[in-house]
Parts: sequence; structure tokens; C-alpha cells
Amino acid sequence: MWLVFRKELMELLRDRKTLFFMIAMPILLFPLIIGVVGFFTSKAMDEAQSKVLKYSIVGAQYAPQIADALRESDDFKLIETTADEELVAAIRAETLDFALRIPDNYAKPLLEGGQAKVELVLNDAGLNMIQQRLNKIIDEEIARKRKQAFSELGLADLQQDALLEPVVIDKQDVADKRENWGEKVGGLVPYILFILCLQGAMYPATDMGAGEKERGTLETLLISPIERHHLVLGKFFTIALAGVTSALITVASMAIWGLVLGQGMAITFVSEFMASIGAIDFVLMFLMLIPIAAIFASLLLSLSVYARSFKEAQSYMGAVVFVVIMPIILATLPGVDLDGGWAWVPITNVALAIKELIKGTMDYYALIAIFASTVAIAGAFIAFSIFWFNREKVLFR
Amino acid sequence: MIEINGLAKKFAVANPKKLSEQEKKDPRLKGRFFHSVEDVSFSCEAGQVLGLLGPNGAGKTTTLRMLSTAIKPSAGSLMVKGVDVLANPIQARRKLGFLSGSTGLYGRLSGRENISYFGRLHGVSEDDIGKRIDELADLLDMHSFLDRRCEGYSTGMKQKVSIARAVIHQPEAVILDEPTTGLDIMATQTVLNFIRSLKKQGIPVIFSTHHLDEVDELCDSVTVIDKGRTRFNGSLADFKGLSTGSMHESFMATLTEQGAH
Repeated sequence: MWLVFRKELMELLRDRKTLFFMIAMPILLFPLIIGVVGFFTSKAMDEAQSKVLKYSIVGAQYAPQIADALRESDDFKLIETTADEELVAAIRAETLDFALRIPDNYAKPLLEGGQAKVELVLNDAGLNMIQQRLNKIIDEEIARKRKQAFSELGLADLQQDALLEPVVIDKQDVADKRENWGEKVGGLVPYILFILCLQGAMYPATDMGAGEKERGTLETLLISPIERHHLVLGKFFTIALAGVTSALITVASMAIWGLVLGQGMAITFVSEFMASIGAIDFVLMFLMLIPIAAIFASLLLSLSVYARSFKEAQSYMGAVVFVVIMPIILATLPGVDLDGGWAWVPITNVALAIKELIKGTMDYYALIAIFASTVAIAGAFIAFSIFWFNREKVLFR
Repeated sequence: MIEINGLAKKFAVANPKKLSEQEKKDPRLKGRFFHSVEDVSFSCEAGQVLGLLGPNGAGKTTTLRMLSTAIKPSAGSLMVKGVDVLANPIQARRKLGFLSGSTGLYGRLSGRENISYFGRLHGVSEDDIGKRIDELADLLDMHSFLDRRCEGYSTGMKQKVSIARAVIHQPEAVILDEPTTGLDIMATQTVLNFIRSLKKQGIPVIFSTHHLDEVDELCDSVTVIDKGRTRFNGSLADFKGLSTGSMHESFMATLTEQGAH
């Protein structure tokens, strides 16, 4: 069996195409995607943040504080427009970024004039930071107006706070940071891991079953005095190893490049989060790849052995991706937890387990169900491969 | 020695509508089964070379594949060096060296690696594999390309490596399915010389071919198969004696004579 394994592995490692998909692509492509997306987003954000905004103001006389603050700021530039009706057209034509309409009651004190409704006219489609930047000025105005009203009413500080927020809810979450974030990212991690694992196993699986038929090496292999199950297991382990390796390389590459590129505030959060997970759960998380790789490798191998040609095998593999996504999506649905029946559903149970491990709420007894159901499924597929290898049809169909 | 008696093989026809007109006319199509081989018998003694002749689709390859244990016959018996192939397929595989007509090599491995892989599968020790490959490289003239990857090989190089692979475990009987098809004159000569060297070692060789000159040059006995049945079984001299003219005429005579029955 290890004889077959060694030879298949050697052949796999000599294949540039496989190596490219398994190693080079995750190492180079992911950082490239992250880098390019990151670069353009941050560039667009910078631009929106630092761009000098052209504005116009109607009823400036009612709010001299706003008008002054805008005029004094380097970030804003006043464009004089004569008529109120032209504002919309000017914004559409991009000669203006935004316009403010100040109502006449703005000038009066709060208790007298009531709520002031300032209209902000802008084109809000696409990325812009207009409101955020205006808020700095408006917030000052709100504070000023409040203070004025409170002092007019003669309210003490205590009364002021109570009036502003009569009831405050102080949330005390028993879920720690880890559980909280685990629930959020826990669904995504298995999704990425599984798809990568499947992708990594796919090409070698096609090559070792259908490819062997197409090259005409299978007949010679089948008449050599090796037991069929040794042959199948040797191939199975190679495919599983390829899947796990590919997933691990990609994850490692994403982690490293993510750390390199995402320096700054994100890094402390990520490292804190990682540190809270703990070594055992972390190792268990990656051990979870073993049942997954076993299911994928046995499934892909049996399809590949069944297929008449490389092409036929590849079209089966395409369908597998959709079949595999289903149980992963199931695991992300609310209410689906790793207890009772779900612990026995293959693939879904591993996805759930990874989520639980990230959250730190893993029930370790569920591992029994996970491994039992995996062994059953993988065993069935391997048995099918062996059965098929024993039939003449494997050569002539 | 190899002995084949009353061998038959039928394949289930999956979709009768897909059969060509010619296949439908073939008398071997009976109901839902196509009787590819109906009744084939021949034997090959130690140190003998047997040439297996017959038109395309006659059942030569199916017969040889049954002998190689790749497929199981529906009836008949196969003996190789006293081993019943049907009862002990794994033991028979150890005694047989088989070159399939549609064989291939692992392109990303070198010729040497291809040969040693099958040597290991046959349980040959590393030392013996090394020695044996050197020997075979001399015999088959493979030194110049043995350590290059197979994907760049010519047809002749591939065939030589495939032959070496088939005999790496020093089989007691050798079966070659069209070993010279598609080869140039020099490569063909190398292969024929190789068969001759097997004969000298007292190893029975069965090979199928379409080249009658090869039969004339090498064979001790000839078997002709047509439409799944043995049409002629005998020594080379008997075969030649079937007609006064060339061997081609003898060959045609075996087909028409039996066809008239």
C-alpha cells in the first residue's frame, strides 16, 4: 500500500500543474487579491476623507455658527449659487458635492423655535463621507443648543443626563469575546477550509483514477499481483494528503499575509482572538480536517474510478462542489447545533465542530459521532472503489 | 507451458441500438450478449514461440486478456506452468509477463522508475530490480533514455520500456499483444531479438501480430483465430503447407476453409 502511496506522491510532486494549483496559487494569489482589494479600498477611503467638498448653503443667516465653521474649515469650499432650485441640478452635474438648507427657526433658541430640521441635499450613491464629516460641525451645534436650553431651564447636571437618556440599558454579555466572534467567523472558517481541501484533492483524484485509465496504465496495474484494497488505499491516502496540504498551505498563507498586510489595529484583535482559542482546540480544529479529507478523498476517488475518461471525471467533480456546499451551508443556519442528530450528519458535523471549537464551547463527546459517521461514509466509498476495481467494467465500460 | 482449452467470453450489450450495422450482422451477437470469444484452444510448450494471428476484432486481445487475468472467461480453462489461472489469479500473475496492446506509462516518471515501480509491486528486491534493469537495458537498447521522463518518449522507446516492465519479475511465461505495431524497423528488430532471447531461456512466448514475416522469422507454432473461434492450430511448417504460395495465402486459406463449414 505504501508502495502505491509513495509512487503516487512522487508523480504528484513532479506535476507542475498540480504544484501550481496546490502551492503557488494560494501563496501568491491570495495575497495578491487581498493586497489589490485593500489598496483600492484604502485609496478610495482616503480620497473620500481628504477630498475638499464643494458646498452651498441656503439660509446661512439663520445659522451663522454653521456657516462660519464651514467657511473656516480647509475641508470645505463654498460655491455661491443664486437659486435654491438649481441645487439639485448642480449636485447632479457634480459642480457641487452637497447643499444645506437651514430653516428659519434655527436662529431661535431651542425652547422657543422647537426642533430644527436641516436638510442635507447630496448624491448618496457610492462611497462618500459627507455626512460623517458634517457631523463634526453639527454635533458641536447640538451640544451648544442643548447647553443653552438647559441653562435657561436651570437644570442641574444630574437632571440633564436623566432628561437626555431617561433609561439606559447596561448590557452584560455572559458570552466572552471569543464566543461572540466565534459565532460570527465560525461559520466561515469551515467553508473556506472545506472548499480548499476539496479543490486540492480534486486534480490528483481525477489523475489517479480516470487518468490512469486514459493513459492505459490501469490494465497493467490491475494484473500485477497487488491486492485491490492496497491499491485503493494507497491512492486514497495520497489524495487525502493532497487535500489537507492544500488547505493548510492556503490557510497559512492567508494568515501570514493577512498579518503582514493588516498591520495596525486589526492585528491586536486577531492575535488576541487567536490567543484565546488555546492550543488543544486549535490542534483539534486542524485535526477536524482529517475526517473531511477522508470523506472527500474517498468520494472523489470512487467517482474518478467510476468515470470512463478524464473529462467525465471532471464533470462529476464539478457537481461534487455543489453537493458539498449544501451541508456546509446547513451548518451556518441558526438553530443547527452540534447535538442530537446533527452530530451524525457528515460534513455538517465537522463544520459545526470547528465553529464550536472556535467559540470554545465544544462538547468533546461529539467527536465520537463525528468520527463514527466519517468512518462509515469514507468506508463505504472506499469499499465501492475496491468493488469497482474488482470488476472488468473498470477497464472496459 | 501455457494451455488454453475451450475458452469463451461473452459481454453484455448495454445498448443494442448503439451497435453498428457490421456488429449487428456478426454471428457472435446473440440476444443481449456479444460472444467475443466462443471457442479458443491452443497450447504453447516451454521454449516455444507461438504466433497468434487473426483479423481485427477476431478476439485475439480478449483471449490474451483472459490469460492475463484482467478479465474472467465465461467458460473454458487456462493453465500457466501448472497454475490454474481462474482458481489462483494472484499466483498466475506472478508467473506471467503480460504486455497489453493499449498499455501506457506514467509520463512524469522516468523509464527506470516506471519499471522499478512494477518490480516492487511484484515483490522483487531493490538489488534485483537494479541488476535486472541494467540487463534489460542492454537487451532492449534503452540506456540512452532510461532516466528521462516518459512523456517525451517516442513510440519505440515507450514500447521497449513497456516490455521491460512486463518482464521485470522474471516471469515463467510471456504474453505480448501486438508488440511491434507502430514501431520502426530498428525498434522492431530489437523487440524480435528480445523474444528470441526469451526463447533461448526456455520461456514460452505467445505474441499476437499482423506481420507474417515476424511469424516466419520467430514462431514454432501458429494459431489463427477468427470470429471468436480457433481456425488453425499447428506448427509453422503445417501452416506454410496450407498453400503452395506465400504465407498470406496460407492465412487466407485458414479463414475461407473454415468459413465454408
